[in-house]
Amino acid sequence: MFTLYGADIYLRTPKTPDLPGEVGTLRLVFIANRGTRVFPPPAPEAEPTDWPQCRYLSDVPVTDEQVDALAAHLTALGWQWTKLQKLFKNDGVDAFSKPY
Amino acid sequence: MSHKVCLIRGDGTGPELVAAVETVLAAAKVDIDWIELEAGLKAVEAGKALVPEETTDRLREVGVGLKAPMTTPIGQGYVSPNVTLRKKLELFACVRPVRSLPGVPTPFHDLDMVIFRENTEDLYAQIEYMATEHVAHSVKLISDAGCERIIRAAFEYARRHKRRNVVGVHKANIMKIADGMFLRIFKKIAEEYPDIESWDNIVDNQCMQLVTKWKLYSVLVTLNLYGDIVSDLAAGMMGGLGVAPGANYGEKCALFEAVHGSAPKYTGMNKVNPTALLLSACLMLDHLGETKARQDVEGALEATLGEGVKTYDLGGSATTSGFAEAVASHLKA
Repeated sequence: MFTLYGADIYLRTPKTPDLPGEVGTLRLVFIANRGTRVFPPPAPEAEPTDWPQCRYLSDVPVTDEQVDALAAHLTALGWQWTKLQKLFKNDGVDAFSKPY
Repeated sequence: MSHKVCLIRGDGTGPELVAAVETVLAAAKVDIDWIELEAGLKAVEAGKALVPEETTDRLREVGVGLKAPMTTPIGQGYVSPNVTLRKKLELFACVRPVRSLPGVPTPFHDLDMVIFRENTEDLYAQIEYMATEHVAHSVKLISDAGCERIIRAAFEYARRHKRRNVVGVHKANIMKIADGMFLRIFKKIAEEYPDIESWDNIVDNQCMQLVTKWKLYSVLVTLNLYGDIVSDLAAGMMGGLGVAPGANYGEKCALFEAVHGSAPKYTGMNKVNPTALLLSACLMLDHLGETKARQDVEGALEATLGEGVKTYDLGGSATTSGFAEAVASHLKA
C-alpha cells in the first residue's frame, strides 16, 4: 500500500528558515541543504544554497488536504516554496531518502 | 616541527596499510602527532555511529586527516562513511592525481593528469523519492556556488603547479540546465586564466579521448557523478586502484585517502598494496608544507617499484609490510 505520510517543501530563502515545529499532525523532522542536514544542528560550516529542503512527517497517514494546508500555512507565514514533494511509505517502508 | 594529523585506521586491511605508512613516514623523519579517531565498521561495532560526531568535530578542529579504507555495513540502512565525511566537512574538491609509475604495468605511458571532482552536490546529494509505486525520482542538485568553487580550485591548482590545460567535463548537450550552468561558469572562470589553455568536453567523448589521447590532458574538472566514473577509469589507466591516491579538500579541512575499498577478504594476510595510501600520504605531506619529505617518499616509492618490489596485484610477491620496509630502506640510505 502506497500511503501518504508527509512532504518535503523546498523554500526559496538564502538562510536556514525558522519554521513551525508542527502543523497539525505534521512535524518538522529536519531541514537539509544539498542533501546534508543543517537543522537540527550541527550544520556543516558551509554557505548553504537558497533552496532548503524542509521535511514534515506524520506518525500516522495524512490526507492530501493536510499537505495542502501545510503549504498554505507556510505561504501565509511569508515563505515562498518552489517545490513540494509528497512523501509516501510503501507497505510501511519509507519511499524517500534521508539526508546525511 | 610536529604536525597534528587525525588518523582513521579503517576497517579490513586498513590498519595494515596505515602501519605501512607509519613505517615509511618514520623513515622519512616526518614528525607527526597522530590523533586517532573512530569511524566505519569498527565504530559501529563499538556501539557508536558510523561516523561519530566527535570524529567530524575533531577533524574540523585539527584540519588535516589521513584515512584508510572503511567498510559500510551492508543491509542495515547505513550510508557511505566516506560520503558522510565529505559532506559533513564540506570537502568539496576531490583531487585525484593520475600518473605512470615505474614498474607498474599499463599501456598508457607518460600519463600525467589531475582530476578535480565536485564532492558535495549532484546526484550524490542523495535526494530520492518514489514519486508513485512505479516511478523513482533522484534529484540532481547543482548550484552556481558549487560549480564556481570546484572550477576555480582546478584553475588555481593548474596555475600553481604550472599545468598545461584545464578541461571542463559535462553533459550539457543533454542536461542543458544543470550541466549547462556548470559549462557557463567554466567558460566564465576560464577567461580569468588566459595563461592556461582551456576547453570543454562532453563526458562520453572525454572517456573515449582518455584512452586514445591521454597525453593531451593535464587537469580535468567535472561534476560529482562524472568525476566518480572518470577518476576510476583514470585509476585503471594508471595501473589500478591499488596505486591511485586521493585527497579531499574543503575551505578549512583536508582529508587524504586511498580510493580503494577495505578488501576485508585479505584482512590480516599482509598482502595488499600500500602504494595508494602512501601516495595519499605524500599529498598530505605537500599540504603540510613538507615538500622535501614528499619528494623523498615519492622518490623512494618509485625506486622500490622500479626495482621490481611489488605486491601481488602488480604481479609481485612482496608483503604489505615488506614493501613498506623496502621503501623505508631507500629513505634510510
